[in-house]
Amino acid sequence: MTPLRRLLLSLAVVALAQTAVLAGMVADRTQLLRAGREIVLPVVPVDPRDLFRGEYVRLGYDIGRVPTRLLDGPAPARNAAFYVVLERKADGAWSPVKVSAAMPAETSPERIVLKGRTMHGGPFDDGGGTAWVRYGIESYFVPEGRGLELEKLARDRRISTLVAVDSGGNAAIKGLLIDGQLQYEKPLF
Amino acid sequence: MSWYRHKVERDLARWQAAGWVGDAGAAAIRAELAARRSPFGIASVLAILGAVLFGFAAISFVASNWWAMSKLARLALLLATLWGCYGATALLLHRRLEAFAQAAVLAGVAVYGASIMLIAQMYHMEGNPPDAVLYWALGALLAAVLVPSNPALAATFVLLAVWTVYERGLGQHAHWAFLPAWAAAAAAAGWRGWRPGLHLAALALLVWLVPLGYLVLDRHAHWLVVLAGGAAAVAAATAGPAIDRRLPASAALFCYGLVTAFAGVYILQFIDPIVRYGRLGEVWSWRLMLLAALTLAMLLASMAWALRTSNRAALWLAYAAFALEVLGLYLKTFGSLLNTSLFFLVAAVIVSLLAWAAYRLHRRAAPAEAAA
Repeated sequence: MTPLRRLLLSLAVVALAQTAVLAGMVADRTQLLRAGREIVLPVVPVDPRDLFRGEYVRLGYDIGRVPTRLLDGPAPARNAAFYVVLERKADGAWSPVKVSAAMPAETSPERIVLKGRTMHGGPFDDGGGTAWVRYGIESYFVPEGRGLELEKLARDRRISTLVAVDSGGNAAIKGLLIDGQLQYEKPLF
Repeated sequence: MSWYRHKVERDLARWQAAGWVGDAGAAAIRAELAARRSPFGIASVLAILGAVLFGFAAISFVASNWWAMSKLARLALLLATLWGCYGATALLLHRRLEAFAQAAVLAGVAVYGASIMLIAQMYHMEGNPPDAVLYWALGALLAAVLVPSNPALAATFVLLAVWTVYERGLGQHAHWAFLPAWAAAAAAAGWRGWRPGLHLAALALLVWLVPLGYLVLDRHAHWLVVLAGGAAAVAAATAGPAIDRRLPASAALFCYGLVTAFAGVYILQFIDPIVRYGRLGEVWSWRLMLLAALTLAMLLASMAWALRTSNRAALWLAYAAFALEVLGLYLKTFGSLLNTSLFFLVAAVIVSLLAWAAYRLHRRAAPAEAAA
């Protein structure tokens, strides 16, 4: 092989490998959004002072506060992912019923497993009785100029998110619902 | 004029005057020195700086909103830029513009990292953020090995260090996963025979190793760091010639071992008590005295070894460590002047005795040399 061909091949391998990583990220996400099970979670207001940073919305959820007594088995390590089992109550709202460090097997249609981490990577149980959990669905980018409007709606508790969840418990926001109507559904690409 | 050339010129004048080097020889040596070109031309420095700035431009693009484009258009833009950088690398290498080609590789690595962040932002990925840094580092390592590219390898070590600091900051664990990734990058530096890369490898390992004591066993296991650094320094001192036959690195290894061991004892003496008890602890304790004595002995032995092996870097590091140690002891005993003065008196006596012993040894050795 000539040096030039060897060089071109090496560079192509580098570019292809890096492209593959990026494409893998996109594919993973689109697969989750396309095929994941859908649940609707009402948004609760978070600290209004930094609810919006530009067009970047912070979203709070009732399921973000998990009682530590729900922990089943050993406590998860710091910053390690753990699994929160949600159950649909009679009024249709999802609420946490169990937490475990390993992926639990749940087959009931009234239950769904979400992968979460503690809010700042701290210990699951810091003695306060409540773990603050993030599921990767706590921020959302909205079109320019819509921030303030959504802020008001969030304060009035009129927003919900449509969330896709895959079999590994990974969650992604599919869209925002205002008064139950789907308003911001993002295209996959 | 480079530092090396300056030094040789000075010695050459002396050797010529002594008649050891003839006029023809001296002229030939000077011509050879003048013909040497510095590897750091202004063009290559500017090209690398340009690549770094380009990287910052790409990264700050993350913060800006780019709503005008569809997701697909954004992905296409990112990938086109990425491939453009590596395409430019091929073109520049083909035209033998090595420095510019290296800058293009570095720009490609920067665009790759920016793309990871942008895609994570576009799709609201919020998994474990340090993982993104690891993916970036591995992409940089691949470019470093295949192109091959020293700047990309340097970027790999920086990214690996950022990765371990980030991961530990969140997880508060030892982060053993750092070691295989580091070993792969260090092996690449060794394979390339790139000395600055090996120094970067050592520095990246130090970033991981020095705080390790906080993260393993009882979370105050800094003695492990002292042992690791001490072992490296002792290995460099005892197996020096054997190491240097493969790679002339024993002098540097000694320096890094010294720095690691000193960082460990320094944490044990002056930082860990604050972490543990929220204050410096009692002014004097047997533990501190023992550790201080050990540190001073270690530093004096290092200085002696550095002088014997003409290891200038180790000598200056040991001097600096000595100054830090004395400053630490002074601050710790501040407010208790009697204790402070007692300490300095004891230290002064010990150092003076050692100086006397060294002088006697030297005197005994000198006549033997004269006789031989």
